[in-house]
Amino acid sequence: MERETSPRRQFIKSGMLAAASLAAGTTLSAQESVDPEEAATPQAGPITSPPVSDGTKKSPVRDEYDGFSRFKPSRGNDPDSDYYLGKLVPGFRTTEEGPAPFIAPDLEKLPYVMKDGAKQFELVAQNVRREFLPGYEMDVWGYNGSMPGPTIEVTQGDRVRIIVHNELPEPTTVHWHGFELPVQQDGSMTLTQNPIMPGKSYVYEFDIHEEGTFFYHSHVAMQEAFGMVGWFIVHPKKVFDPPVDRDFGLLFQNFHIKANQTISNSWSMDWNWHTINGRSGPFTTPLVVKHGERVRIRLLDFSPMQHHPIHLHGHTFWLTGREGARTPKSAWIPRNTELVGVAQAAEFEFIANNPGDWMFHCHMVHHMMNHMVEQVGPRIREGSNVDAYMTNLDQRPPVDMKHSEGFATPGYPQGMQGMQMSEKFMKAIWSRREVQGMRATWPKSVHGLMTLLRVLPDDLYQQVMETDDVPKGAIFEEIVQRFGTPETYQKAPLMKMGH
Amino acid sequence: MDASILSKLLGSLAISIALLAIPVQGQQLAPTAQQTIEKMLTEPQDIGLDTAAPGTRWNGLTTNQGNATEVHTLNGMLELAARSNPTILQAQYQITGQLAKAQQAGLYPNPMIAYIAENIGVEGTAGEWQGAELEQRFVTAGKLQLSRDKYLQRAKVAEHLAVAQQFRVCNDVRIHYFKTLAAQQILDLQKELLKTAEDDLATTREMFNAGQANQVDLHRANSELRRQQLSVLQAENRIRREFLQLSSLVGMELAFLPLSGDLRTASDLIDYDTVAQRVLSQSPEILAAHSKLREDQITINRESVEWVPDVIVGGGVGRNFEANDTTGALSVRMELPIYDRNQGTYRQAQADYVRQQKEILRTEMDLKMRLAMQYETYLTAAQHVLTYEEMVLPQLKQAYATSLQGYKEDRLAWPHVLHSYRDYTLRRIEYTEQLLARRTSEVLINGFLLHGGLNPAPGATPPGHLDATPNPR
Ligand SMILES: [Cu+2]
Repeated sequence: MERETSPRRQFIKSGMLAAASLAAGTTLSAQESVDPEEAATPQAGPITSPPVSDGTKKSPVRDEYDGFSRFKPSRGNDPDSDYYLGKLVPGFRTTEEGPAPFIAPDLEKLPYVMKDGAKQFELVAQNVRREFLPGYEMDVWGYNGSMPGPTIEVTQGDRVRIIVHNELPEPTTVHWHGFELPVQQDGSMTLTQNPIMPGKSYVYEFDIHEEGTFFYHSHVAMQEAFGMVGWFIVHPKKVFDPPVDRDFGLLFQNFHIKANQTISNSWSMDWNWHTINGRSGPFTTPLVVKHGERVRIRLLDFSPMQHHPIHLHGHTFWLTGREGARTPKSAWIPRNTELVGVAQAAEFEFIANNPGDWMFHCHMVHHMMNHMVEQVGPRIREGSNVDAYMTNLDQRPPVDMKHSEGFATPGYPQGMQGMQMSEKFMKAIWSRREVQGMRATWPKSVHGLMTLLRVLPDDLYQQVMETDDVPKGAIFEEIVQRFGTPETYQKAPLMKMGH
Repeated sequence: MDASILSKLLGSLAISIALLAIPVQGQQLAPTAQQTIEKMLTEPQDIGLDTAAPGTRWNGLTTNQGNATEVHTLNGMLELAARSNPTILQAQYQITGQLAKAQQAGLYPNPMIAYIAENIGVEGTAGEWQGAELEQRFVTAGKLQLSRDKYLQRAKVAEHLAVAQQFRVCNDVRIHYFKTLAAQQILDLQKELLKTAEDDLATTREMFNAGQANQVDLHRANSELRRQQLSVLQAENRIRREFLQLSSLVGMELAFLPLSGDLRTASDLIDYDTVAQRVLSQSPEILAAHSKLREDQITINRESVEWVPDVIVGGGVGRNFEANDTTGALSVRMELPIYDRNQGTYRQAQADYVRQQKEILRTEMDLKMRLAMQYETYLTAAQHVLTYEEMVLPQLKQAYATSLQGYKEDRLAWPHVLHSYRDYTLRRIEYTEQLLARRTSEVLINGFLLHGGLNPAPGATPPGHLDATPNPR
């Protein structure tokens, strides 16, 4: 197929602008303005507005089910109960309202047009700059100016047509991972189709009869290692019961990028940069939910070679499905940590019954850091710092051979000293609405494959997500006031940096 | 001993063992004991320079740091050398010696005076003839003037050689000044490497304590530090040697002070053809050789007239006691050049003339050969200096700065930074050596390739000179 260069270019440009506003502003407002075409098209598919808790609406939702409370940590009375650990406790949203909108923080949705009875998408394979952390722009490969690529979101029973343009300097194909599609559409390079040569385009078209968590990715190994992947979410025709209020997607990836380098070494056996939806902690955008909501988190590991044991604090979640299909309820498993292997997805569901700011992270210690560096040298020496070396590059300061305090303890120092966070860095970290009111020191603890789940009572949720300039620590302190033991609470020391 | 006592003893023993065991268990719970071989390896030890090769350091090395305003300068050294280097005076005396020879060779022969008494007692007289006679040799064919000219010409040769000697001394003073200067800079850079080796040991100890290095690494770091300490001592020895050699060239004991100056040079790149032409036309050695050829021509002229006999005229007045009359006497003598027409010495002088023509050629070829060698050194050094200044050093400095930045951002390990700085400093030492090589060859090329400022000042006759003289003494 011939490429229609100029309109597509225009689209990518506006898409990138939207990405910029996403980075600067809030997820929700960005989601609303994500796509001009979609807004203009009556066929705009999946619902994108946030769930509204409407007190006047009649709802089957209760506070307590068989001993399980949606508003405080609880298990219920009977492991065999449908409501044990909130298993089938519904969200506030009803099934009639349709599926909850899928939200992959820090990623956009791919717009489509209805044409000849199919949802027609356009994907452009290209190299991309992605800001893993503020000031750390990495050269990766992705789609439509994004790494991971934009989310394709459809409903079971749709017919899709995806026009793939190759702007890479080498051939590519796109594989629609998990779909039971006609073999010609599978995107297996040379096995089922000729490669899409640089500058050329290719059209995939198929009917979707399945529902669940899918993804698309390049079927060239090194291109996969460079980040060429994106969500492909298929909502069920018949909304799952119990309905969820939130449907999040977190896409985990690894890269090996040397210091003073922006290009990943796809040959590496070692991986030192970790991203969730293309961002590394503390730049990952927290998942903010309301107290008592039913939450689904879909988690995809698209790391080149690393499996991730994913752990959520403060809650026990039900493993309700893997990437193959939704699991029958009888086989759901309650978990705190779930190991997600390469190219696997897992779906977690739980009632957010424990207010607070909760860690949600891979439990591999090296994945809880942005890069591993031996903690030796001036950084750990008393009375020594790197700036003294930088003031005169022709003469270095003498070294004091005396050991630092603590050296007598074998293993000192094991603590990573942490990267230096500049004022600009901190400003970017704090610029997101989702982190308002958190403890001033929170960015020190969130690195690598880490993000946060914030469970907030309605009024605090409203403060965070709909008002501006919430002071640091204010929301957390309020949660301590209401749900904790305020008399023992110690405030975080205010960090010098930030806004 | 009965069984009950035994059992009591055993019982009390068991209790005391149990009592002992309590504190033992308590110790086992305490942090790891520290008395290990690793502990000894990671203890800070006295690793200062004084512990390297103790008792063998060159004493009195330290420069007068307290009085930093006092420094040696190159011009000061050159002035001192002009006054004190013995070979410069020797060269002056070579001129004086030749001038004295010229004077001597041109002196007219003294007259002879004789009292003659002949046939004493003849006929009972006092003698047939008694009287005084004066004899004078009349030198012919301008032999004296030619001889004088010949030695005056040798004095001119000696003058050119004195100029050459001045170049030898000045070139050497310059070269050794720069050598000392380079040694100073290299000592500073070796001290930078020493700090880095100390840091490497400190870092290895830190890594050992974090389980990231082992005993092998510690042993290696310890030995590397010692090696670097030796390099510093070597640099100290070098600077001392260079300074003493410089002092010798200047010709007097100098106070050990730092040298001021810059090893870099502002002059443009030397063009080979230009400098070759200049050396071949203006080198004092070439000028001396040409002068010597003129002298050899004069020698031929001189020897070509040697056969012309001098006339010896004698005469006097005396009393002939036999005739009882006053009479006179007259004699005229001259050599008959029948066998010895000085043909051998003439041929010798001719041979020396031709030999000297070849000597000029030999000198030219020798200069060309030395120039070729120096120019190669010069060009190689100049290329290195240029490229090190433009690319190698800035790149390594940037590598070091970038690695420091990476370390500051906690993205790069400290050993990488140490490696970068070591690399940068090693190349700076190479750069200093190349600066010195360029300076040295530049001095030699501009100074007609003359060096050896403490070799005896040469005489006016080159090696192989045949020295034809009419009357060798
Ligand atoms: Cu992991």
